[in-house]
Amino acid sequence: MATSTVKSSDLDFNNIKARLKDHFKAKAEFSSYDFEASGLSNVLDVLAYNTHVNGLTANLALNESFLTSAQLRSSVVSHAQMLGYQVRSRTAAIALVNISVNLSGVSNRPPKLEITAGKQFTSSIDGVTYTFRTRETIYASDDGTGLYVFKTASDATAIPIYEGVEKTKTFIAGEKAERQVYIIPDETIDTSTADVAVFSSVSSNDFVSYTPLSLAIQVDKNSTHFSLHESPNGFYELNFGDGISFGKSPEPGEKIVVTYLSSSGSDANNGTIFNPSTGITVNGVEYTVSCTTDTESSGGDAKQSIESIRQLAPIAFASQKRLVTSLDYKAAIESNFPQVSSCSVWSGDENIPIDYGKVFVSINFKSGTSATVQQAVKDAIVNNYTTNLSVMSIDTKFVDPQYVYIELNDNFQFDPGLTGLTLGAMETQVYNYIRTYFNQNLRDFGQIFRKSNLMTEIDALDKSILSNDIDVKVQMRFDVTLNISNTGTLYYPVKIASPDDVFHRIQSDTFEFNGVAAQIKNKLKSSTLQIFDLDGNVLLDNVGGYSPENGTVTLTGFNPSQVISGNTYVKINVLPQDDGKIEPLRNYILVLDAGRSSATARTDRQTPSLKVNV
Amino acid sequence: MAVSKAFSIEDGNLGTKPFVVAQQQTYTDIDLTFTPKPSGDLYKKTDAADVKQSVKNLLLTNYTEKPFNMKFGGNLNDFLFELDTDIDVDLMADKIIQAVDQYEPRAQVLSVNANLYPQRNEVVVTVQFQVLSTSELVVLDLTLTRLR
Repeated sequence: MATSTVKSSDLDFNNIKARLKDHFKAKAEFSSYDFEASGLSNVLDVLAYNTHVNGLTANLALNESFLTSAQLRSSVVSHAQMLGYQVRSRTAAIALVNISVNLSGVSNRPPKLEITAGKQFTSSIDGVTYTFRTRETIYASDDGTGLYVFKTASDATAIPIYEGVEKTKTFIAGEKAERQVYIIPDETIDTSTADVAVFSSVSSNDFVSYTPLSLAIQVDKNSTHFSLHESPNGFYELNFGDGISFGKSPEPGEKIVVTYLSSSGSDANNGTIFNPSTGITVNGVEYTVSCTTDTESSGGDAKQSIESIRQLAPIAFASQKRLVTSLDYKAAIESNFPQVSSCSVWSGDENIPIDYGKVFVSINFKSGTSATVQQAVKDAIVNNYTTNLSVMSIDTKFVDPQYVYIELNDNFQFDPGLTGLTLGAMETQVYNYIRTYFNQNLRDFGQIFRKSNLMTEIDALDKSILSNDIDVKVQMRFDVTLNISNTGTLYYPVKIASPDDVFHRIQSDTFEFNGVAAQIKNKLKSSTLQIFDLDGNVLLDNVGGYSPENGTVTLTGFNPSQVISGNTYVKINVLPQDDGKIEPLRNYILVLDAGRSSATARTDRQTPSLKVNV
Repeated sequence: MAVSKAFSIEDGNLGTKPFVVAQQQTYTDIDLTFTPKPSGDLYKKTDAADVKQSVKNLLLTNYTEKPFNMKFGGNLNDFLFELDTDIDVDLMADKIIQAVDQYEPRAQVLSVNANLYPQRNEVVVTVQFQVLSTSELVVLDLTLTRLR
């Protein structure tokens, strides 16, 4: 029914125009609204376009008003800042190097040498040269032979060097009546490297160092803190206290000097060779500095992504800078350590076995993060966060991620009449898709495998795939020491299928037992594990058992003389009770065992013209 | 009582369209000059004048000018950026017929005549069309010239 009321809340241009036409249909004055070339149609175009643009603008503006729906980085950052969340800037790659100078044979050697902060090193990565530098003064003592090994103030010989160009910005504090914000027009700043010094006058050499507000334990009128956060245009703003009750503010005429590293982010990761750009001068003579790499450069990263901010800002707000729940730990760790890809945290009462009074943290580090850096990150988590912010008497315990491998065999019906691809090519395509699916959707804590989702996506891969089904097995790896009795339990994240009188539920890969190639399988109709030769003869009647309900496989007295694959572990796969969903718990991460997965096509011609009626 | 009549195909292909003996004001449109009446209201265009205004508006509209309908229009201005020796009058006529056929169902083009005036950088197009509902013949002269 025609209406004279124009509904203007539609977003679609054609709908809006149709409603305007409805409006004119109800009026007698004009009848040419329905012809595209008519003058009235042109007027309707303008009206509809105006409504369309206004509607879209209102819609976009409203979307940008909420953290969960905002699309622009400036909006997401602004919402996060309203929650008190510190958005991570670009971070500089850090390498650990050992630095020494050999002055043997040099007369009048000084007992100590010192290299001030800023000593530069260059490293070539993918054909591009990056500059690294020390950020603290390092010292070395003569060992008696003339060898000087440099150490940090904390007595470590592994000296951290940071990638980046040191930049300085100088501001003169303005009138106090106005709130001063100092802009640093640089998107490459690593805010964690910023040092702020406030000089009492332009010509003065006396200064007061200000420290980051994020590290403040207490703030009063005498606190000297600064905050450096991202502004809407991607640059950075330097803020101080209000000068009254919430931290000091530089007085008018005082000079503010900010030094920071402008870094290349992740591009400078994986540097392995670092060459000092200059030597060290002793008694007017320059000597070569020796530099060996302790740990390759890592930890360089781009600005925190929008999605990461969206995920972590509310959690960080909920934690209120305290570590109480598992999400508090997750937010603190993932926000502050760019080396961390993701982490999983659970309490001792959720652990197997139960261990009260502890918080378990498992960290999935980004690839290329060395063991030294991983340990440094764990130390920093304990020293900077859990010790200060967690509930008293709760200890933090780190555990490595536990990989659970999935073996998939996809069987699909293939109609060659609907594609130009051969059967083999389609099998390869499906197999590659399964690998891609795992890489994109799993390989992280808490990522659940749902069989039906993957099957649906494989069905949609090509119209020549008529249907498909997937056989799923869950595999874990039992570490073995050869020629001794090995005992242990594997905890699978699924319930295992009950024993059957035809099929084995448990099966290992091949190893050598008493000089015979053998496999572990469960005894038919039993949960007892036995060792079989490849012809199915029992070599050992009992090597452990499995619990279908608990999802555990226990090996007792397992004594292989060789693992045929050459690995130091034996793969043991189980048939899950319910293969529709595999949910990793705690520190489990699901990974595809690509070598034991496959895609198999069966020709199934559905094209009508090719059907033969018998 | 209205009597339904039909023209022959040669006379305008009105085979299935009803023809009302007593002529009515079938079409009413707003006058795009937006000239106000003394009362303050706008003038209207009706019937053949309405269709003529529409055809003119259609032919002088360039592609992409109409929102969400990028192929609407005669796009005749495009020809002004050709060399005068390259302007194909037949092509221009085809475009005009095609545009009217597609977007102005009330008119049928009977002839298109284009004259080039290179010395004035001008093309004068004369379109003769018939308003289908009334069989009225209308001649539309369009002068295409570059603004600068």
